[in-house]
Amino acid sequence: MHRQARDLIRPVVMAILALLFWVVIFVLFYKVLVYFKSIEILGEILLAKLMAVIFLTFFLMLTVSNIITSLSTYFLSEDTRLILSIPVSTEKVYLSKYLITLGHSSWMVLLFGIPVFTAYGSVYGAPITYYLWFTVILLVFLLTPGGIGVMISMSLVNLVPARRAKGVLVVLFILLLAALYLFFRFLQPEKLVNPEKFSELVDYLAMMKLPTSPFLPSHWATRSLFPLLKGRFEDSMFYFLLLFSTGLMSILTGSWICRFLYYRGWSRSYESREVKMKGTPLLEGVFDFLMRPFHGSTQAMAMKDVKTFLRDTRQWSQLILLFALVVVYLFNFKALPLNKVASISFYLENTISFLNVGLAGFVLSAVAVRFIYPAISLEGKSFWIMMSSPIELRRFIWCKFSTSLIPLLLLAEALIILSNTFLHVTQFMMVISTVTIFLITIAIVSMGIGIGAVYPRFRFEDVAQIHSGFGGLIYMIICVTFIGLVILLEAWPTYLIFMARIGHGSLSFFQWIEVIFCFCLTTLIILTAIFMPIKIGLKRLSRIEI
Amino acid sequence: MIQMINLTKRFGPLVAVDHINLHVKKGEIFGFLGPNGAGKTTTIKMLTGLLKPTSGRALVDEYDVVTHSMEGKRVVGFIPDQPFLYEKLTGIEFLRFIGSLFGMKRDEIQWGISQLLDLFELDGWGDELIESYSHGMKQRLVMSAALLHDPKVIIVDEPMVGLDPKGINLVKRIFRQKSQEGVTIFLSTHTLEIAQQLCHRLGIINRGKLIAVGTLSELMKALEDKTGQRGTLEALFLALTGKSLDE
Repeated sequence: MHRQARDLIRPVVMAILALLFWVVIFVLFYKVLVYFKSIEILGEILLAKLMAVIFLTFFLMLTVSNIITSLSTYFLSEDTRLILSIPVSTEKVYLSKYLITLGHSSWMVLLFGIPVFTAYGSVYGAPITYYLWFTVILLVFLLTPGGIGVMISMSLVNLVPARRAKGVLVVLFILLLAALYLFFRFLQPEKLVNPEKFSELVDYLAMMKLPTSPFLPSHWATRSLFPLLKGRFEDSMFYFLLLFSTGLMSILTGSWICRFLYYRGWSRSYESREVKMKGTPLLEGVFDFLMRPFHGSTQAMAMKDVKTFLRDTRQWSQLILLFALVVVYLFNFKALPLNKVASISFYLENTISFLNVGLAGFVLSAVAVRFIYPAISLEGKSFWIMMSSPIELRRFIWCKFSTSLIPLLLLAEALIILSNTFLHVTQFMMVISTVTIFLITIAIVSMGIGIGAVYPRFRFEDVAQIHSGFGGLIYMIICVTFIGLVILLEAWPTYLIFMARIGHGSLSFFQWIEVIFCFCLTTLIILTAIFMPIKIGLKRLSRIEI
Repeated sequence: MIQMINLTKRFGPLVAVDHINLHVKKGEIFGFLGPNGAGKTTTIKMLTGLLKPTSGRALVDEYDVVTHSMEGKRVVGFIPDQPFLYEKLTGIEFLRFIGSLFGMKRDEIQWGISQLLDLFELDGWGDELIESYSHGMKQRLVMSAALLHDPKVIIVDEPMVGLDPKGINLVKRIFRQKSQEGVTIFLSTHTLEIAQQLCHRLGIINRGKLIAVGTLSELMKALEDKTGQRGTLEALFLALTGKSLDE
């Protein structure tokens, strides 16, 4: 009965959250689009440019995501062995795996795209046919990156066997760098936000009117969707057909390539498994030194986790996406044109630095949901080893905590210090933000491990199944709420101290009380977020039976 | 060495293990027999701390597996039927890891690893990732891990699954030797021949209840008294679990 109720509640909660997400994205985009539209002359062009940027971002994200997912679905998933041993044609295998790949890599884009394009429709007062067509265009748009992704991974695996972690990693890394380069060159975001760099308005307009790239499906999607906002169906048709036919062609070409390369690549991935380990004395030496103060079993568990992580191709492919996220994040701060007016820029840079803590917190949560939340579940079917060993679960869970904390702390501080350096913030803001992110990171890790222990999933085929479940969603919501709360509570006292320092004055008695109260409350929330989840997770884990 | 007192496990309305009372002595090899779903694995899981009893007690080396679970686990070496291991570790790394979990010293671990890899004919494979091992090799690695810390009790669930005849022979030899050294072995199996050859005493479990305990000859005598004819362990097993040889 208990379980039945839980099974009923979960989809309802998920649906409500998805709806809430849609509403928030819709409202945000609606406001931005209304503002853009109100700008004379430029408004319309800006809206078209923004749509092109969205489609181009989707296209590159989808292509990278399809390459990574198809490596798993075509070459590494457990069912492949069975499927290839039964009399099913390669084309059928290709098509079924293509659809699985497409679903896995594209659902996020659909989830995000629907409220965004609905907001476009509302701003323009588009006819009802627009809403039907944008769904069709969005679905058709997914086909080409799917086909390209599969074709690239087919060719890739024939060059570098799928199970060779390092080889695949290097190739994917190069592909990602290429994608990032193309992305920044196509968009030239620094020019978008810097109109005064153009000597004439005409130059700026000309730049804005330039297509991102006329040969990319993202351009065709923009050109087929934008006219529909005003009901101009005839202007849209050519580009829609171009998009559709290219999508179908990519599937057909993929199927053709698959016929030649799939079986060869799959069998190569087994012929050249990287099984012999020559030992990692440097890693073990550094690790021994760092872990010296800890108990022998804690050292062993931490070492096992680190080695398992470093040798798992599936984890590496996710790490590449993380790298992309960090590059884009830091690039944004480098490109922000804040130093136009000295006095405004001083406030702005410091305000942004403060908001940056929140933003970095969200980025860290996104990283943590992929790498830290699954830490307990990643024990998988081998969890019997821990359960039958004389190891206190408390030691096990705190070990998971400390192994996850160190890399995330390094990432967090690097993000904050680098972005603050780009922003040229004051020393006071630098101290406040580095200390705050330090504490927030500890809490994010603790919540990841704790909630991960409450919702463990020891049976999984794909690592992504762990964080994309109900527990992952709950973790993200709690993280976002926690970070929002900390930033809100710290904003006022930080502002008071900051203003007092600028004016070379001092705080009044009541202001001191306000400052102390806010900081105490923040500390209390952070401490609760650090200790409570681990306690709850431990309690849940001790009741687990396998 | 192993004691079960009214040991019971329920999963909702299902009683998987029903008030089992059993005592296994030091150095004894005890065979736990029963059809599929009889409650063998559930009993083993309770003894090794993977499941908590609903009621009753289980003691290993006089330690209650619930109240003194750490002490209990320290003296047990567990070999499950399915060798789920950390596939991204090498054989040696895995054994080192297990040794550390049991609080062994580095030189003890190193010595134990070289002995066990040699004993289980895994030398030459120690530096290879476990994911490249065959099922039988994984099973032999699990056995090495279970013996590494020199346990007083070995609990085995289906010991011969995945082993080749040579491996089976080796395991039988090791179990006999360990028993002579005073190690208690509690093994659950479907293979009646193994039970017949190895075990000092046998217990038959059916639908969660322990329906017969004794040496092979005691059990045979009980069958003879019941049916009036001499038979095999298979006939006894089938008679007690409610099936006939024809079935």
